[in-house]
Formats: sequence, C-alpha cells, structure tokens
Amino acid sequence: MKDIANYALQVMKKAGADKAACTAGQGRKDEFNVEANNFTLLRTNFSDSLHLKVLVDGKKGTTTINKLDKDSIDKAVEECVALAKQGTPDEAEDIAPLATNKDFDQKIGGFDAAKLFSRSQEFLTQVKDEMPKIMIEGMTAEFNSGCTTYANSNGVCFTNESESYNAGSSFNAVEGDKTSSFNYYYSALANLNTPFIDLGMTRTLFEESVRSLTPRGFDGKHVGKIIVTPAAADMLWHTIFGCFLDDFSMIQGTSRWKDALNTKVTDSKLTLRTSPLHPLIVGGERVTGDGFESVNQDYIKEGVLTSFDLSLYAANKTGKPRAGNNAWSLEVLPGDMPYADMLKGVDRGILINRFSGAQPGPSGDVSGVAKNSFLIENGTVTDALVETMVSFNLVDVLQNIVGISREVNADGYGVLPWICLDGVTISGA
Amino acid sequence: MLQDLLTAKKADFKDYTELRAQVNSTQQVTLLSGNMTANAQSATGGVAARVYKGGTFGFASAAAYNHDSVSNVLKAATDNAIFMDSHVKKGKPPLPVVTGAKMDLRKFPSEPINQKLLIDFAKGLDEMIVKKCKNLSSRTVVSNCLNMEKLLVVSDGADSHFYQPRAMAYVIMTAETKDGDQVELFKALGGFGHFDEHFTDPSAYAWEIDELYEHLMAKREGVFADAGMKKCIIHPDLAGMLAHEAVGHTVEADLVLGGSVAGPNLNKQVASELVSMTDFAHTAFGKTCPLPVYVDDEGTPAEDAILIDKGILKGYMHNKESARHFGVTPQGNARAFAFSDEPLIRMRNTVILPGQSKLDDMIASVEDGYYLIKTGNGQADSTGEFMFSVDLSYEIKGGKIGKAIRETTISGVAFEMLKTVDMVSDDMTWDVAGFCGKKQPMTCSMGGPALRCDMNIGGR
Repeated sequence: MKDIANYALQVMKKAGADKAACTAGQGRKDEFNVEANNFTLLRTNFSDSLHLKVLVDGKKGTTTINKLDKDSIDKAVEECVALAKQGTPDEAEDIAPLATNKDFDQKIGGFDAAKLFSRSQEFLTQVKDEMPKIMIEGMTAEFNSGCTTYANSNGVCFTNESESYNAGSSFNAVEGDKTSSFNYYYSALANLNTPFIDLGMTRTLFEESVRSLTPRGFDGKHVGKIIVTPAAADMLWHTIFGCFLDDFSMIQGTSRWKDALNTKVTDSKLTLRTSPLHPLIVGGERVTGDGFESVNQDYIKEGVLTSFDLSLYAANKTGKPRAGNNAWSLEVLPGDMPYADMLKGVDRGILINRFSGAQPGPSGDVSGVAKNSFLIENGTVTDALVETMVSFNLVDVLQNIVGISREVNADGYGVLPWICLDGVTISGA
Repeated sequence: MLQDLLTAKKADFKDYTELRAQVNSTQQVTLLSGNMTANAQSATGGVAARVYKGGTFGFASAAAYNHDSVSNVLKAATDNAIFMDSHVKKGKPPLPVVTGAKMDLRKFPSEPINQKLLIDFAKGLDEMIVKKCKNLSSRTVVSNCLNMEKLLVVSDGADSHFYQPRAMAYVIMTAETKDGDQVELFKALGGFGHFDEHFTDPSAYAWEIDELYEHLMAKREGVFADAGMKKCIIHPDLAGMLAHEAVGHTVEADLVLGGSVAGPNLNKQVASELVSMTDFAHTAFGKTCPLPVYVDDEGTPAEDAILIDKGILKGYMHNKESARHFGVTPQGNARAFAFSDEPLIRMRNTVILPGQSKLDDMIASVEDGYYLIKTGNGQADSTGEFMFSVDLSYEIKGGKIGKAIRETTISGVAFEMLKTVDMVSDDMTWDVAGFCGKKQPMTCSMGGPALRCDMNIGGR
C-alpha cells in the first residue's frame, strides 16, 4: 500500500497540488449470514480503496475510488485537482504535519473459517435449545482483514495492518401470534474463544426479549429515574457528540457548550472519553482521518469539558484544540455504585435497553420510545413495557447523575457502564 | 458506461447464478454557513456473483472489473455455495424459474455532470438564504447526486442494464429562540434525474426557501406539545414515512419470517377501510415513479405489490426464495445497494393511496389537535410500534391552525393507529430524499395523502 500511496502523492504534486494526502487500502471480508434462524449465505468480498485530498491555493477537492491500478489513480488525481480548482479557498484547510511515521500491526493470527462456522452453528443450536422463543432475525459472523496506508505531502506515512472478527445478531421473541420488539447486539472479537451466546449482554438481552412477549403500558405520566444500560449507548453518548462536541455543531456555533471548555458541564461523576488504544477495544483506529496518530482522548473529565471532537479543519476554523481520534471507541469510566445498589435506589422508574428516538436538535432535548425496557418498582425490575415514551433535556439530566455502575460492558467497540439519571419524564400511551 | 463482460460467462453457470457489475457515483458540495466543507466525488464499483445451491447462497465480489475478476468472483461464489450446501445441508430444490425479457439501459447521461454546477447552485442558494432570511444562527446547503448503474446477467429471468440517477439539494436553517434554545428546520429538494434536470437556477426555489424560513420563524416562537393521545392531521409528507417505516418494513417477507406482526395478520383487517397501500414498481397514477425499478437484482421483472386493500392486509414484498416459501410470484423487490452487497427485500415506491377528503376540510374538522407536517427521522419495530420525530407541526384549535410546536415525537402501533384513520385527502406527495437502512442503505421513495387519525404525541 505504501508504494500505491506514494505514487498517488507524486502524481498529485505533479498535477499542481500544493498539499496532498492519500489513503490507500486493500482488504477482504468473509461473512456467514443467517436469517430466521437458518444459514443463508457465505460472502467473500475483496475490496480496494483510494481516497485523495488535494489543496490548490487553499481550495480543497476530495475524490474516492475503489481501484488501485495506475490508470485509475491517474484519472482520479486529475479529477481531484480539477475539483479543487473549482472550490473556494479556506485558510482552515490543511493536512497533518510531519510526525514520527509508524507501521501498526493489529493482526490476530489469520482467518479460521472452520472455527467461525462452528461457533455460528453452535450459537444457533444453543439459542434453539436454551431459548426456543428467540428468533434470530438476522445474524452476521465475519472476519475482516486489510492493510491501509495514509501518506501526505508533508512526509507523514502510517500503515496499519488489521484483522478482527465481528459477530452478532438482531432478534426478537416469538410465541404464537405474539412478537416482542426487536433488539440487536454485536461484538468485535480478537479471537473465537468464547461461545457467541456468552458474549457481553447477549444472553441477558435474549432473556429480556422473551419476557417482553407480554408487555404492559406505563401508567400515566411520571417524572423520575431511568437506568440506561450499555446496550442503549446511542441514547446518551452519541447524542452528546452530535449535539455539543462535533465539527458541525461547533462550526455552526449551535453547541450549547461552545464556550464551556475547561468548565464544569456535567455532574463530576462523569468521565467520557474515546479510547481506540484501550485493551478491550478490538481493531481500534490507529490513524485519524486527517493523518494524525490516534491517541485516547478525554472529552469530559470528572464533569469538566476538556475537549471537543474536532477534526483538523474544524480546529483551525474554531480556534479550539483538535481531538486525538475519530471518536469511535466510546469509554465511560465506571463509577463506585454496584448495579444492584443502583436498582435498589429506584422507587418508580424504567430500565432502558434500546431507545427509538428523534435525532435531538441543538437544544439537547431528547424524546422517544423506550424499547426493550422494563418497569422498576421499589428497587426491582418488574414488567416489560410497551408504548412508553421518555423525554428529557440532556444538559439538564447530566447535571445530576444519580450513579454510574461499577460494572462495565465491553463489546469490542466500547466500554460502557450502566448509568442512572433523574428528572426524566416517562409517559404511557 | 459499464462494458458487458458478463454475458459471455453465462455459459459457465452451473446452478442458479446472478452476475452483476455495478458502479455507484456520487458528487457532493456542502456549504456550512458559507464554508465549503465538502467538495467531493466518488466512484465505487466492481463485480459480484451469487450462486444458489441446495437452499443457501454463495456470494463473492471484487473491486476490479475485468475478465479475470469476473471469472474469479464466479468461482469464489460457487465455492462458497458448495461449502454452505455441504455444511448446512438444507436439501432444498433449485429456485423456481422466473421468465423475463432483457431490459435495456434507459436514461444514461450523455456526459458527466460538471462539479461546477453543484458548486454554483449551492452558492446561489446560500446567497439567497443570506439575503432573504435574517436572524438565522446557522445555515447549511448541500448539493448532492447519486447515480447507480447496474449490469445484470442471471441464469433465469431478465438480464438488464439499469441506471438510476438521483439529484438532491438539502437546506438546513437554525435560529435561536428567546430563551436561548436553537430550533432547526430541514428541506430536501430534487428527486429522480440528473442534477442539471432539477437544479439550474436557485431562484426557482425561492418560494421553498421563503416557506421554510416562515415555518422556522413560527417554530422559534413555538410552544411545546401537550403530551398524550390527540386527534391529528398527518401531512402527506409524514404519511409517506408512516407507510414506509411503520407498515412497509413489517410486510417485507424476510421480516415476516423473522416474526414480524404482519405474519399472523395476512388477509385480516389491519387498518380503516379508507386505507389502501401499494409498493409501486415503476409507474403510479399514470406517471413514472420517483425511483422506478423495472427489474430487480435477481432478474425479476418488477410489478406493483399490493400490500393493503381497503384496510385488509393482502400481501408481502418478496425475493425469489421468500416467494417460493409463501407460494406466490416474486414482484421485483430484491435490490442491492453496492456492488459488494447481496440483494435484500426492499421497498421501491411505497404509497398510501389518496382518498376523497379535502385537506382544508380535514383541518377544519379538528377541535383540539395537531397538524403534523414534517418528520426528521423515524424508526419502526417488528411489532409495528413506530416512533417519528416531528420537526414541523402546528396546533389545531377550533378547526384553525394555531401556534407552531417545538420538536416533538409521535409514536404508536401501526395496525392500531391505522384503524383510527377516518379521513384521507384526495391529494398526495412523494418523498425521495433519504436512504432506508436495513443492513445496507437503499434509495427508496414513499408517499401518501393527508390522514386524520388518533396519535400519541410526546411532550417535553
């Protein structure tokens, strides 16, 4: 890949690029598919990718193709330079400066096709035998391998060779004419040592889907506590990034935290970071999209906003520091409250495993349906719920976090605890 | 344009086989408050083969498209099919043969769209917004086109050469409320066709910008919805989303087999008698649909799929295998998004059919309720339970439109909510802006008339 990336850089410079960057990659995916509890397909995909960025007189053009032959690269460069020349100059556009170049090795010993198939088969058998009401609506079990090189005209060159397994399913429970809400759980894996049914929250979520075959509505309207499980990560954590930390909200100036760097923005129990180098993250990114070596990054440390999630461009645009990674590997530090104690502290509230909600606007108002969720009464999880809506303002509820669990769930993509929030409006249909 | 390197390989097909070459091309320009944050184009394509043997498929794809790569993916897919057949041992017979004539290429561009067109249009629209719309805290303008070209050769059914262009422009406006919150509205323009067929003169869209701004200023002064079950008029734009998300997905046969609520409800009353719903293939109401599909990626010539007729659930959407399972004829719903994707059961142009009421009369008939106009996103469940965000809505008080509503959500169970529909308007709109997500993204269109029904509204 280095040779291809360097060739593309040479051609871009020759074509008139003042600055140029290139990401070249090649990979292979092998994947077993299951639908409705039955194997349906075995896939083998051979992939190539080439992403080019040029700056001409401060004007940017980007081109993406999936061919790596010389003619295709030459044509893509020509088109990319032409794009840039038609663009608008922007002083914030740049490429990463020269740092220590590295080669990263994230290989895990190659593909064991027989083992992946047997683990998948074992999973289906165990589900059928142990939880016959569970319907695996769709399952993928895959092995991905690839090599990617990022290089730019400042002399930066990073190469990453990676391998990983990914396995998981979307599922529901079915009994006669009754169907539960669907749910899903996926894991990234460095080996196949663990039966898939024992990965992370898989078994718990299956059991809860079966219990959800006979749900009830939430009575009336109540302002109180919710416990958000790691399976509902997007309800809180991704929303924080989208509303308050990312390029879009900061460049637009709509982030409510835009002037809050190094000030307290949440309860001091919260430390939120993205950690691609965490030992429980599988195949974490090693190079950012704009050509920096990835490092772990704190965003909120003990309640204090320590960084935004800004690319090089957005950092230059806003005058704020660039983030240390692409913000894909979420980590929330565990708290000091055992999950059992967290439950005991809820008189009337709900446990949320999945959230079907609107994309919150800049205000941070979150509203949607609590899916695969359960009533908590007097410290005990009781009935499964249906048609139950929750709404709250994210900034407000994060001011007063009731507790963060000591336990965490690591699925290879993130490391997240359970969190209890107060002041949430819960209403039945 | 894709060269045909596939037909010559047909002689090598042993089992049921699909061989598909495909290129997806995109161009995009994004102006974020006037800053050009994207000036991009991409072209990704390659060749894929899928082989059916004994009840399972083998699939393979490669980015390279030449004689060798075509042979290689055909062999790899065949090897994968043999592996699956020998290990899974379903022992099913070959898929039933589908007949169909060759479908030739339509609507291919004479020359590529120059990026300058996208840039000039985005800049023109952005300048218009700056000039016309005061008090905005931010604005975003996007020019975008996605063109999909597919060349398909199948062991039975219709070989085809298919090209589907979509050109869109997106506008997002944000304004600050008196209490310091930000409110936002979004508008999608465009549809099927090339960029220059939709977007040459930004001033042609001046009224759309005016209307969006007017709604945003009303929303800026808006109130929060009163939570609970309310009598609502659902605007045609939102009815289309309801048709797609809340009903459409539950009647995709793969999800029916996975346990969706539609399974036990076939030929039963699932909606008011005023509700009929069809997934159109390529032509509806005498006109070409926003995203016409003439033949699907299994080579099945596309026909309309009638889903609900006068409130009765009449059928599902199928691929060849699910059609065999249910003993019906496939109607061309198997579609793949990228060259490296296998065909899945997907919607095409899914519509609740218009009725006989007038929208004005429907609004006038509501004493205390809401007029729900625009949704930002929506999700639905295998149970039929759905949730949509509502970005734009108004109170209805005494039969008249009242104050605008801030962000809210609506939710319900589709087959229950549809039974409360008691008025259906005689007009409809199409929406072709988004992507449907189901393992792969996919372009789909949806549409419908205005509906009067009972709906659960979320408050603050």
